[in-house]
Amino acid sequence: MDLSFIVIDDTELDHFIAKKMITHADKRFDVKSFYEAKEALDYIKGKGPSLKSDAITLVLLDIYMPLMNGYQFLEAFETLDPALQAKYFMVALTSSHEPADTTRMSYFKSVKGLLSKPLLAEDLSGIIMQVITENGFELQ
Amino acid sequence: MAEKTKILYLDDEIDNLTGFKASFRLDYQVFTAVNVQGAIDFLTQHPDIKIVFCDQRMPEKTGVEFFEEIRTTFPAPIRILITAYTDIESVIGAINRGNIFRFIKKPWDQADIISAIEEASKFYHTNSVLTIKNEELRKAYAELDKFAYSVSHDIRGPLAGILGAINVAREIYDVNEMKDMLFLMEKSLKKLDTYILSMHDYYSLQRGELRIAEVDFNQMAQEFKDIYQMVAETNNIDFNVTVDQREPFRSDIVPLKLVLNNLLSNAFKYQSKANEDKKVELTLLVHRGTLHIEVKDTGIGILGNHINEIFNLFYRASSQESGSGFGLYNVKSALLKLNGHIEVNSALNKGTTFKVSIPTK
Repeated sequence: MDLSFIVIDDTELDHFIAKKMITHADKRFDVKSFYEAKEALDYIKGKGPSLKSDAITLVLLDIYMPLMNGYQFLEAFETLDPALQAKYFMVALTSSHEPADTTRMSYFKSVKGLLSKPLLAEDLSGIIMQVITENGFELQ
Repeated sequence: MAEKTKILYLDDEIDNLTGFKASFRLDYQVFTAVNVQGAIDFLTQHPDIKIVFCDQRMPEKTGVEFFEEIRTTFPAPIRILITAYTDIESVIGAINRGNIFRFIKKPWDQADIISAIEEASKFYHTNSVLTIKNEELRKAYAELDKFAYSVSHDIRGPLAGILGAINVAREIYDVNEMKDMLFLMEKSLKKLDTYILSMHDYYSLQRGELRIAEVDFNQMAQEFKDIYQMVAETNNIDFNVTVDQREPFRSDIVPLKLVLNNLLSNAFKYQSKANEDKKVELTLLVHRGTLHIEVKDTGIGILGNHINEIFNLFYRASSQESGSGFGLYNVKSALLKLNGHIEVNSALNKGTTFKVSIPTK
């Protein structure tokens, strides 16, 4: 499978839920968990050159986190090599219905979707379908 | 006696300045300047000058022009023009543009000047009270905005988590997995509970009045020992308490306990799991009317660039999820009420020491 996942969230329960949902969609999906956005960013940077050419990673990114929040993460991410950025499909997650968050998120061109928490199975499968069609993957 | 009102008088004729000073120096603190630069020097050195008198006809620039100039650079002092009736046209324009509070006709008499000073003082005070109130309001609004943002995330966050977990539960058939999830759900609810309790502390600190009584620190220390005994034992943390109180101390016990409780709970919470030799030390020393608190831990420490922000509302310097971003802000608010002072020293992965001093009431 050329689709894998990264979940960035500071809450354990939200990691548990996301992982459960993702593996429920297909239990072969690989899920990496980061509790701090900075660590995820370092991981993405370090992983750079070794990426398989057609592999895509779907990132579920919580907006509201201490230390580096979702916005700061995206600001840093969007300075990376565009070829590397293209390997990541960013989806922001928020627990609020703040219009301010929606507006602010729309300025990040790397963000392909904004979902509200709790994450729902149909939202997730919708996003997965989108990635699959955009990249011409086939689900084996 | 209250401090004399500071007044500045700018006029190019020395005789006028001398006469003015002689008439009013007993009741007011009078500064006189013979040219614009001299006047600006006084305004710079004495930002508490409340009233500026200025003659209209001067060689460098007119009084109206001078007031127009200082209106933006020194907005606080009240501006009064002294002028002969012949200049009345330019004066009316200046008053209408708001550059001048009132004018006094030349030659002035003492009663006119005194009434102008009294009126101007009142106006000045109303203005400064308004400025302070405005500043307070601005702060309150900024805090309210932060609050609204935090509430929608910090309260809705755990609730969304619980809802999500209930959704997921429909697909869980393994009892152990279910138990793991229940444990995480409980953690989220506890976090929400802490948040709401801290919000209550926040509110009572902003609004409540102090209730002063004598404080027995030996008794208080015992209470904290009892409260934290359990956490200390379960997490294998050595908890040491030292009390030295040989004189009475008066304060409000509620904010005092809030300070101690927040500092102690942080000291226990932010321990590093890897550390073999975990310690929390609490020292309470009353000396010459001042309470000195020291809370020292061997925890994860705070990065230098976060240390200035830890007392800010909703700031969290750790991704550990039990933090609400209220604790140290509430500590700061409580200390503000008690006229206390706090300083923090921290070394990453070595530990943090908070030192607080609070005077007796």
